[in-house]
Amino acid sequence: MPRRTLLLLYLCICAVSMQAQDLAGIEIHGFATQGFLFSSHNNYLSMQSSAGSLQWTDGAVSFTDSLTDNLRVGIQLHMYQLGELGGPNVQVDWASGDYRVNDRLGFRAGKVKTPLGLFNDSQDVDAIFLWILLPQSCYPVDNKSFYLSHVGGEVYGNLTLGDRAGKLQYRGYAGQVYLDLTGGYLKESADQGLVFTSAPGGKVYGGDLRWQAPLKGLTIGSSALVQAVDGKGPEGTDHVSPYFVSAEYAQFEKGKFYFAGEYRRSPLNVILTFGPAVIPIPLDVRSWFVMGSYRLGKKFQVGAYYSHDVNKALDTNLPANYSKDWVASGRYDFNSYFYGKIEGHFLHGTGLGYYDSTNPNGLKPNSNMLAAKIGFSF
Amino acid sequence: MSYAQKVQAMSLIRGLVLLLGVVSCWSTAIAQDVVLIANKSVQITEIKDADLRAIFKGEKTRFADGSHAVPVTLKGGPVHEVFLRNHLGSSPDEFRAQWRKAVFTGQGAMPRAFDSESALIEYVAATPGAVGYVSRMSPQEKVKTISVTK
Repeated sequence: MPRRTLLLLYLCICAVSMQAQDLAGIEIHGFATQGFLFSSHNNYLSMQSSAGSLQWTDGAVSFTDSLTDNLRVGIQLHMYQLGELGGPNVQVDWASGDYRVNDRLGFRAGKVKTPLGLFNDSQDVDAIFLWILLPQSCYPVDNKSFYLSHVGGEVYGNLTLGDRAGKLQYRGYAGQVYLDLTGGYLKESADQGLVFTSAPGGKVYGGDLRWQAPLKGLTIGSSALVQAVDGKGPEGTDHVSPYFVSAEYAQFEKGKFYFAGEYRRSPLNVILTFGPAVIPIPLDVRSWFVMGSYRLGKKFQVGAYYSHDVNKALDTNLPANYSKDWVASGRYDFNSYFYGKIEGHFLHGTGLGYYDSTNPNGLKPNSNMLAAKIGFSF
Repeated sequence: MSYAQKVQAMSLIRGLVLLLGVVSCWSTAIAQDVVLIANKSVQITEIKDADLRAIFKGEKTRFADGSHAVPVTLKGGPVHEVFLRNHLGSSPDEFRAQWRKAVFTGQGAMPRAFDSESALIEYVAATPGAVGYVSRMSPQEKVKTISVTK
């Protein structure tokens, strides 16, 4: 059934003509992707990747309408299957009203994408990236739903600082977020015996400031987010007091070259309660990545990145407490709508992306992986 | 045909080929000479390159006089490529990726795109605030032209 539904969504998207549609002023866009993963040892991202797995499908369709010069409304529906994660349910990716007073001040309300670091709000838009997997230290694909968007509001704007000082883009927001019941965090929790039937969640607020420097192509930015999580299941509870996540980043584009880097820190204490037992899980996660890419021609792009994640609150010598990933990627655009990607990963450590239930015989500390993806976007 | 006549005929053919080449290059250059056009309701007569870039990237929604700007584009072709390269510093792929990001994150609506210059001109002529670009060879009576300054 889930596969059938996904196929249906895929066909719906493909059935629409090969260009964005505009029906009575309503713009319709969409994308669909199919991925393949093969790993040398461990099973990654809840897929049976050591045997080669195609259980990785993504699709979305968005509808946008400009009601007046200043007011725009829209919704994006999203569906994904990643191994045992995701499933047949259509999720609302974002749904918002956007009122732009002028270029310096605007408001969005509804379910709004959350800015955090370089790529958080766009991490599920596969078509715009060279990479199949974004650096997992900062953008874990199995948990992308958690930080991706919040229900609440946002204030935003662009400030021109003058010819010699560049431009400043700001976004500030507050609202409520919920963990995805079919996402990675709750699967991990279920693997430990703590199952939730309603999604844990909590208040979130934060902001993002990015400066387009006068040096053409250079962007420098900083994001901050404060988040709390509380959940209650039949067997116990999950409590995380408000914690602070910070991200600093920079990117530089010149001609055919692109470079970017980001550093993120998230110190938090998770407290799980199983009946009378209270289990504290201390986390002080330091994550960073550096990446570079080069466009070889109009259709072909190559690149590489290094992604690093370590939990400083625990023994950093244990593979379970770190993840280091060397990656090489290539992308070929068949035309404006279809593309293909291939990517090699050399993973050290098991801190990210592995689940007990799909690795019943334990994990080896290192693993190599080949990923491939085809995608369509209009 | 004598040897002298053969040489004369060859010279004539070479000259014709050269002339055709020059004419072809000249017309291609003219065709790719891009003109910025706008609806006649738009008050401004010139626009800064930085403002034009910001409007077509969705960072600005208004002209310098405060009136609403509605950018429109061609779907492809040499005029589209020349406009993006000269005024936005982007390739068509980069331009499309920027807008896809805005659309799929709920931060913008993609500019309306047209298959032909004549369709684009018709839309600009009928839509207050519309701004687009065409080849210098296209008729521009129904719209106004705007000069781009540094």
